Amino acid sequence: MLKRGFLTTVAAMSLMAAAAIPAKAEVSFMYAEWIAALVEPGIAAFEAETGETVKAIKLPGQGYDQRIALDLAAGTAADVNLMDSFMVSELASAGYLEPLNDLASGWDQYQYYLPGLLEVASYQGKVYALPTDTDVRMLWYDKSNFEKAGIAMPWEPKSWADILDAAQKLKDAGVQYPFQLPAGIKQGEATTMQGVYMALLGADVPEGDRNRLLNRETNQWIGDSPALRRTFDLYHQVFVERELNPADLNYATDIGAAVRQALADGKLGILASGSWEDACLWDCNNPPSREDRDAQVGWTPWPGSGEPGTKTTTNISGGWTIGVNANAADKELAFKLITSIFDEANFKEWTLANHRMAVRTDISESPEYTADPFLAKATALAADTTGRDTVPGYQTVSALIQQATSDLLDGVSVDEVVQGYHDALVDEFGEENVITYE
Amino acid sequence: MKNQANPWLTSNLFLLGLGLLPAAILIGALLYFTAWAFAFSFTDLALVGRKSVEWNWVGLQNFERLFTRRGFLESLWTTVIFVFFSAIVGQSVLGFLLAAVLRGSQSTIRSVVEVCIMLGWLLPDIVAAFLWSATTSQTGLINQLIVVPLGFPPINFINEYALPIVTIANIWKGTAWSYLLFSAALDSVSREVVEAAKVDGATPFQRIWLVQLPIIRPHIATNMLFITIWTFTYFPLIFAMTGGGPGRQTEVLAVFLYNQSFSRGNLGFGSAISVAMLVIVGLLSLVYLRMLREPK
Amino acid sequence: MESTGTSRVTAIALAFMAVIWISPFSWLLLNAFNPMSTGQLEIPRAVGLDNFALAVSGNAGRQFLNSMLIAAGTATLSVIVGISAAYPLSRLRIPGRNAFLWTLVLLRMLPSAGVLVPLYFAAQRSGLLNQLGVIIALTVLNLPFTLLLLKNFFDTVPIELEEAAYVEGASLLQIVTKIVLPMSRAGIAVVWFYSFTGAWNEFLLPLIFARVQDAFPMSVGLYAAFGQQGAINYGFLTAFSIIYAAPAVGVYFLLRRNMNTGFAGVGVKG
Repeated sequence: MLKRGFLTTVAAMSLMAAAAIPAKAEVSFMYAEWIAALVEPGIAAFEAETGETVKAIKLPGQGYDQRIALDLAAGTAADVNLMDSFMVSELASAGYLEPLNDLASGWDQYQYYLPGLLEVASYQGKVYALPTDTDVRMLWYDKSNFEKAGIAMPWEPKSWADILDAAQKLKDAGVQYPFQLPAGIKQGEATTMQGVYMALLGADVPEGDRNRLLNRETNQWIGDSPALRRTFDLYHQVFVERELNPADLNYATDIGAAVRQALADGKLGILASGSWEDACLWDCNNPPSREDRDAQVGWTPWPGSGEPGTKTTTNISGGWTIGVNANAADKELAFKLITSIFDEANFKEWTLANHRMAVRTDISESPEYTADPFLAKATALAADTTGRDTVPGYQTVSALIQQATSDLLDGVSVDEVVQGYHDALVDEFGEENVITYE
Repeated sequence: MKNQANPWLTSNLFLLGLGLLPAAILIGALLYFTAWAFAFSFTDLALVGRKSVEWNWVGLQNFERLFTRRGFLESLWTTVIFVFFSAIVGQSVLGFLLAAVLRGSQSTIRSVVEVCIMLGWLLPDIVAAFLWSATTSQTGLINQLIVVPLGFPPINFINEYALPIVTIANIWKGTAWSYLLFSAALDSVSREVVEAAKVDGATPFQRIWLVQLPIIRPHIATNMLFITIWTFTYFPLIFAMTGGGPGRQTEVLAVFLYNQSFSRGNLGFGSAISVAMLVIVGLLSLVYLRMLREPK
Repeated sequence: MESTGTSRVTAIALAFMAVIWISPFSWLLLNAFNPMSTGQLEIPRAVGLDNFALAVSGNAGRQFLNSMLIAAGTATLSVIVGISAAYPLSRLRIPGRNAFLWTLVLLRMLPSAGVLVPLYFAAQRSGLLNQLGVIIALTVLNLPFTLLLLKNFFDTVPIELEEAAYVEGASLLQIVTKIVLPMSRAGIAVVWFYSFTGAWNEFLLPLIFARVQDAFPMSVGLYAAFGQQGAINYGFLTAFSIIYAAPAVGVYFLLRRNMNTGFAGVGVKG
């Protein structure tokens, strides 16, 4: 009696346990609010298909980077996580992320990802996350102000001298912000990407990565180079020597809104920004019609500096990614969730609806995508794009670059700023990891 | 003053000790955590990446860099100006004056003024930042209501007067605290004393200066200490309004610290900055302590 | 009372000050009641409550309760722990107690950035990555201020009153609850309110401690107004922040009614 009772209890318990397992093997997923439109249909599809539940946690964009770093370090992170692409190598180098190459090999849509963009989310040859979107960078300009300043359109600057020349004419014509070039710490990554790196890439020849922050062959940071000096001098010209732009837009409480307002009020000449601007331009609440946009605003690729051997146009791309926690209980299931989110129909709909630049050829070559004149033209720029220096330490270097532009705005000389930047790199990475180009 | 000969205290030492216990445990936890922050200042600990796991001891290197690298000394000067004008002059003096004046006011006026200053205190920092940048922008309240109607071109306040603007915004945001504390402190001044002074023919000013102020001196010292510390370390408002700019014009130490610890990700250097801040405010507080100790 | 002349001047000065103080709020109100808000200072073409409807939809109710729980919990725990320690600290002649308390307050200058990482790991190990963890963590961080403030207020209670009560046969507990606490009511209210507002506005701790999004307070909900590329929903932001600040203002007035009694309330002729 007692024995049978015991056995039945054990049997009942194991049955219950067995019944409980599928319900318990849930997948957790952390993402930021702004991407809900992409991930939420994917979660629903995943739950319907597998019968598993997804424990989703949606965060505001504020504090997101801090939380994800802490969560992964403490082992409390979700199984699947959204993160900015520049964090991937840092997190992967600390062993927090699962390499996806094996998991993805069985997924038929993996082949469509653009290799250059997978590289952005890679560390030591392994892919650690899949990109959600990308972007390209360019110079936007206000056509009515260009007309007022007597600058021929379509504007096709061939060198930095052409840009400065146009900015001078705009300034003389009374335009308040002739050349809004992202600068300073408050702009964060925008300073590094939309400003410094776009200039830097065209500031010297590409050989030996003389036009970059990092020598990617040797993994050494470049502490002093002609390209850096020329780029810093461009900032010095714009903000200090020729006063081609007041600094305040870079320090507005809501920079995006302040820039849009300046554009709406006709106070802006040239704006160094990116492909995302097309989604709202001067009014995000009521995006103007295609005709209105084309009538008022034009864009042109960033030219190289004009020094011999430099690139004719430059571009650099960023974006966000989704990856799997190295400590996820069921990695296969976690990756399955990622494939549900990035399933073609869902991914394509979101990409088109949000004017995002596609990261996969099956979407970028689809008729709906190529029918969008802006996306089609911008995607052509992406052919020659490059990524950030996705090695551990990039975030630090980027912050140091932003600091350097702050000092330039305060009127510190280029020599002194380069010296300070070089010293800070040595502080962070050691003498042996910092090089100088003559 | 108090002494241990009081029998209701001496016979209940156990109970009193028991009362101290929870606080002692929590203080222990706090000391444990702050000990970490101290220790970090001697390391190259990073926020993310490999150095967040495999950090090294680097001795006094971080402290040397406070003086050999651009940033710290400049920020310190900005901070001193900001703290002096916004906390000590602005919040403290204004808060005391309001508390003293409002005690004798009708309850409606008092309620209205209290709601006004309380709203500033309770508004989330980020919203207060928006509110002030809207007030000081070229199309903002001050320009639309005062500058332009007087026939002047709109002033780009953030470009030209960034530090004064954030100072005023912080006075607006923080005066409520000093007001509250001084109100409560003035409440604890016995009315008999004040009435007696009145009978003796003291003017309102004399009653405040000679009677009430000396009695609430400990509160003044405490308040000075608190708001000095808070303002020294306060950063959301400035960070949201100007991010320390233009250039580095409003980069107070708290913003500098944040940039070094989080943007740059160097927690070791960030901790060294905060230890240095601690030492500076520690010295300052000796002045306040003296204020507290002076015999009545 | 002072002469009516002076008080009228004071009244006018105060009113003037109130106007200046409150004028920046015009931006907040104009945007909150403007369904087409753009974040600019402008007179709305139409006035509506759409933004408020948006602000209270979604998770706002849940977030309000969480904020209340965290703020009231932190304030109450801080005050209880603070009182039970501040009374002995005020009455017993413990050498160096002032210096000790001031040192603690000074130590709180160390940035939460440095404290955050060990704090997070400790909370994780002790299973406190939840609301209770937030409450305890905030209490720990508040305690130096709480202790010093409460001790100062207890110091101003004349010991003669306690002596008298003791002579009449009151126990220690009675002395504290019947004399010391009522006489420091204003001070306790200030400390409670200070802890309450601090916790009400706390953003980072609840954000990183919460394991599920249902545990987020309103301070986190506010950031739903921020899009990715700086496209901010100003209507939502302003309406939400009015709703967000209102309960704390209400708490202040509830509390104030019990605050300004001081000496008058406890049978000492005032």
